[in-house]
Amino acid sequence: MKAICLAVAFAAALGVAAPAHARLRVVAATPDLAALATVVGGDLVSVETLVPAAADPEAFEPRPGDVDRVRRADLLVRVGLGYDYWLDKLIRQIGDKRLMRGGDAYVDGSVGIPLLEVSGQSVTNEGGHAHGVANPHYWLDPENAKIVTAGIAEALTRLLPGERERIAANRDRFVADLDRGVARWTDQLAPAAGVKLIAYHNSWPYLARRFRLDVTDFIEPKPGVAPSPAHLARLIAQGKTAGVRAIVHEPYEPEDASKFVAQKLGVPFVLLATSVGSVPQATDYLGLFDHNVATLAKALRVPSQ
Amino acid sequence: MIGIGDALSFLLYPFAASVAFVLIHAYLGVHVLRRNIVFADLALAQLSALGATVAFALGYAPASPAGFAYALAFTALGAALLTFTRALGRLVSQEAFVGILYVAATAATVLVVDRSPQGAEHVKKILIGSILTVEPPDLIMFVALYGLIGLLHWFARVPMLAVASEAQPSGRSRLAVSLWDFLFFLSFGVVVTSSVTTAGVLLVFSFLIVPAVIGSLFSRTVPVVLAIAWASGTLASALGLASSFVLDLPTGAAMVVAFVLVLALAGLARALLFVPAAQSRRNWRAAADTAGLLALAPVLASSLWLIVNPAADQPLLAVLERTTGLGPATFLNAADRATYVEAIRDAARFQAEVAALNAKERAARVGGTPLTDDEVRRVASYQQSFNEMARGERFVEDVLRARARARERWIVGLPAAALALVGLGLLVRRRRHKSAA
Repeated sequence: MKAICLAVAFAAALGVAAPAHARLRVVAATPDLAALATVVGGDLVSVETLVPAAADPEAFEPRPGDVDRVRRADLLVRVGLGYDYWLDKLIRQIGDKRLMRGGDAYVDGSVGIPLLEVSGQSVTNEGGHAHGVANPHYWLDPENAKIVTAGIAEALTRLLPGERERIAANRDRFVADLDRGVARWTDQLAPAAGVKLIAYHNSWPYLARRFRLDVTDFIEPKPGVAPSPAHLARLIAQGKTAGVRAIVHEPYEPEDASKFVAQKLGVPFVLLATSVGSVPQATDYLGLFDHNVATLAKALRVPSQ
Repeated sequence: MIGIGDALSFLLYPFAASVAFVLIHAYLGVHVLRRNIVFADLALAQLSALGATVAFALGYAPASPAGFAYALAFTALGAALLTFTRALGRLVSQEAFVGILYVAATAATVLVVDRSPQGAEHVKKILIGSILTVEPPDLIMFVALYGLIGLLHWFARVPMLAVASEAQPSGRSRLAVSLWDFLFFLSFGVVVTSSVTTAGVLLVFSFLIVPAVIGSLFSRTVPVVLAIAWASGTLASALGLASSFVLDLPTGAAMVVAFVLVLALAGLARALLFVPAAQSRRNWRAAADTAGLLALAPVLASSLWLIVNPAADQPLLAVLERTTGLGPATFLNAADRATYVEAIRDAARFQAEVAALNAKERAARVGGTPLTDDEVRRVASYQQSFNEMARGERFVEDVLRARARARERWIVGLPAAALALVGLGLLVRRRRHKSAA
């Protein structure tokens, strides 16, 4: 509020009318949501991210600066499903109705997503890793970006009613790009349909559903716990009989166990990006899939188009 | 499905690595115990991790020569700082200084990782380790490195041991003492740096300290201490690895627990078997009293807790119920019992429905026609309903369990508390009687 007052006073002092170009301050929990908010908001918004790119969002600890960032946000975009549970505390601490569930400045990206792996866990998720109501990695299905961007567009329009057309046009352009991308990625991975994979962490159900991949098992038996020898032995024995073709690994997890299983099975170890910026090649939302699909296709030796 | 052959092929390299670790670490542990700075390894390991993270932050790959050089440089810095502990020892406890070094290095690592998150994987790795995935090339590297350092220590064993054992070694200049100290900490740092990324800090600490402590329990002469340390460390490693495989436990943590168990057994053996007969009798009695106290005190506390607050969590009672099969159902009237049994059954059934729907959705990802988004949403909403219903059943279960516990408080809690009190009274009287005699 103070910042806006200052900005207005500053503009008035310069003899300019109320700043039409003042960008809306959007704060996104993760780089993926930030990327989606950027494409929808275009130059109407300036986007900040709370979890730095390449950090593990499930082990994130907010800093004092984050409190300030959220407090000054015109729009807060979060993952929901207990994935960014640390935001709940932050929002409660700030105590601003706008930023709470149902408030004008609040977007929960998971609203309307067809959720996978709804579990019997409680709605709150204190541990981060212990996936709350459903598997939270929904942004890894590109089709879900349409739902998330629709939510962001709606909230932005609510805040900037005069810019309705521009926001809609931005989103339409992104959806068109996305549709072309999905067609391309689907073609690239079509020969790999039904391929069996083992993953380190359960991050990929949405990606697997979209591109018809079969993630049969996980290196990490329980989220956040190192695998036991019996578990690794089982993975290797079953991986051999099931014909697992690759080990998929997340960038911020210890690699030894994944590489070990890959080597024992004689299959490639594939490092995929779990979010924008988690590998250098995944620079934006479409780039994330360009990179992941190309990497997977290459590892599985799918003939390229 | 997993045979003994599988187990052997799996555990052979980790075991070989553990033996290599035990040989060098237990030896260094003897020194560290004499120097009275048991946490020096953590400080050095953390400094080397800091070096590796700084290298990451500057853009060097983890396995590159530059990454290694940074880790080594920070370790050398740590060795130099630790060399000062001798001088500081006159003013404050050396352990305090070592502890400060450790937290400073850890905090600095966190700060660096915050700026460049790519290093986080490395930090996680140091914490957990991955001794399970040791491969022959790693093994060769360990053997070569530890062989070299072992050789160095063999030739320098006399001055090394002298500076470790005495606060101010006589007949040696201060400079010479400092040089030997630095050399010791540097070689120590190199060993720890190499082992910590494989075994993790917890396990490295166990390799270092536990066998050396076991050896020191039985002897003061270095060769005997070493022989016992090496044997017990190897035994504990084998025990930990085997139990990790058989009981399906995370390997590092299982091994640490195995080391501590072996230490506890060695301590008991030392107190009960390796003492003069009269002392042994006294110790046996003390051990029996302690065991009685350890058994009776929780029983008393738990039964009092049941009497005071029957509706709260009753951890010990829950364990008892599970092992005896005498659940809360035993203490309910017929109608309540039927409801209770039904609630448990239904909760399990609803949970199974959720799992079945998950399996169905999973199967549809790759086989047959894929589910549409709306079909997935329907599956999710069914699952949510089943979850709600299961939660309802669990609520019923909790209410009825509380009702059963309210009865148990008098039928079970009161007699148990009385028995435990009588037992404790007898124990105390026996002790007092003996000390009077």
